[in-house]
Amino acid sequence: MTRHTDSSTISTAEAAGVDRATTGGLALGQRILVSPQFLLVATIVVFSAFVTLQSPQYLSVLNWTNILRNAVFIFIVGAFSTYVLVSAGLDLSVGSVFVVGALAVANLLFAGFPIWFAIAVAVAFGVAAGLVNGVLINYVQIPAFIVTLGMLYIARGLATFVTGGRPIAPLPDDFNAIGQGDIFGVPLLIVYAIVVGIVAHIILEYTPFGLALRAIGGNREAARVSGIDVRRVSVIIYMLSGASAAFAGMLMSARLGSGQPSVGTGFELQVISAVIIGGTSMFGGIGSVTGTALGALVLSILANGLVLLRIDPTLQNVMVGCIIIVAVAIDQFRRGRMFRALRR
Amino acid sequence: MNAEGGPTTDSTSNNPLLELRNASKAFGYVIALQNASLSAYAGSVVALVGDNGAGKSTLVKVLAGVHQMDSGELLIDGQPATVNNPSDAQQHGISTVFQDLALVEALDIAANVYLGRPIMRGVFVNRAAMLEGAADLLRDLRIRVPSVRVPVGSLSGGQRQGVAIARSVLQQGRVIVMDEPTAALGVRETRHVEEIISELRSRGRAVVLVSHDLELVFRMADRIEVLRLGAVQGVRETKATTREEIVGLITGLLNEPSSGHQEPVTIQVPA
Repeated sequence: MTRHTDSSTISTAEAAGVDRATTGGLALGQRILVSPQFLLVATIVVFSAFVTLQSPQYLSVLNWTNILRNAVFIFIVGAFSTYVLVSAGLDLSVGSVFVVGALAVANLLFAGFPIWFAIAVAVAFGVAAGLVNGVLINYVQIPAFIVTLGMLYIARGLATFVTGGRPIAPLPDDFNAIGQGDIFGVPLLIVYAIVVGIVAHIILEYTPFGLALRAIGGNREAARVSGIDVRRVSVIIYMLSGASAAFAGMLMSARLGSGQPSVGTGFELQVISAVIIGGTSMFGGIGSVTGTALGALVLSILANGLVLLRIDPTLQNVMVGCIIIVAVAIDQFRRGRMFRALRR
Repeated sequence: MNAEGGPTTDSTSNNPLLELRNASKAFGYVIALQNASLSAYAGSVVALVGDNGAGKSTLVKVLAGVHQMDSGELLIDGQPATVNNPSDAQQHGISTVFQDLALVEALDIAANVYLGRPIMRGVFVNRAAMLEGAADLLRDLRIRVPSVRVPVGSLSGGQRQGVAIARSVLQQGRVIVMDEPTAALGVRETRHVEEIISELRSRGRAVVLVSHDLELVFRMADRIEVLRLGAVQGVRETKATTREEIVGLITGLLNEPSSGHQEPVTIQVPA
């Protein structure tokens, strides 16, 4: 695990003495500069300033409401994908579970079931998909990449097959209000995202569950021998991930007023991009819900700003790709400075 | 023997805090432990030595609840104890400092010290109490670190060892098992770990010290148990033995049955 590069025993002891003076190797100013959150905020500010110069309506309340509303779906799922990545897992199936949620709720409503029932069943499908993922990964010990890639195909395939793959409309107005309404001018979607985000943040940072999932991601074996039920915690994480994806899919149907079989394609990659841009490490242990919120915001701002700048939307992908690579490069750099023994 | 009393054990009058009897463990066709026994006494250090593959790490993992033995008996305070997982071991007062330290580099010292057993306030983790508790504990054990908020990944080998030991002490462990605590350390850091071991002994803990380093073993241990090919080759009081004898036992040149310990005669059938 750890590589000890010190050839002489004295140098180890000396290094221990030096290390006492400087906490972690970087001064506070440097740490702020290399923190992904700082760079994200700086990117947002610079990009926003540029877009505003070209297109003043960028700063309008209406436009920002749009930006935030578009970030909601990625963020609600991303908050729990943060859990998955911090626990050193991976969930590629969220885009497909998203469409499962969207189609399940639409079909049940269309068949005349009450709204609460349709929502509960849709979310339950997400929980079930997460349960299957989590059990296969932790008890059958199939790699997360394979299991969730399989679930990506299975969930979308089943959803399309069972529902016939046709758009479902119209849906009841009372249901559509869930995704289209607002409270004091603030879209309900944004309210949901804020509530989900706060709860997800509190669980990750201030509960034993959050601490356990961070420990699992940092060193699974250490977590296990310290008495944490590693497999149980991991299964719960995948269930939360599935539930959040199905819930977000349900919200999408409410927002569109119809169940669209085409939603959620490639969504898993957007979610993972937001999480990683937000500073969550691919290698586990490090990451935050607030970072993911910023990551989702960056994606949404880019999409919006590039349209206002009348830049070819396909170029948006180029920018997202660059940002992901830079974000991971920064993560590696931070780990290198923070940890004496660089992993891989 | 040992007529002057003192902190060292007198195995004739004291009952062992922990006693492992005739433990056997096989991984497939590989027999890692064969009727191995071990006793640990309060306020005493027993060293477990042996060549690579002698079964030391397996024995440690059996005590820690990471592995379950195929047959054999574990007694805590003379009472039979079942250890099926790491939590069981901790509940029985057995704390283990693993060779690979089992620390989470991405978490800070306080979180590592309280790993798996955070201090709670309602449903939330009480960070402030954990920071304070970890700082007090490390100061108490004279383990020097920059701050308990520093991620363990940034610490030196000796500091990491200190954090791992602090955690085992915090678990209220009466028996502290240390697997190669100085393997990765320099001279000064090794001294530091020795101070911590002495501190633990003087507080009445039973210490099981697994080490390759015979210098360390002879400085710290009250008794030395030699494992070879999964079986106990001999147990000696440190004062009554020599380096040559221990090396002879380790390499198998000496093969004397040690009094007071059962030799493998029959293979025990699992219950």
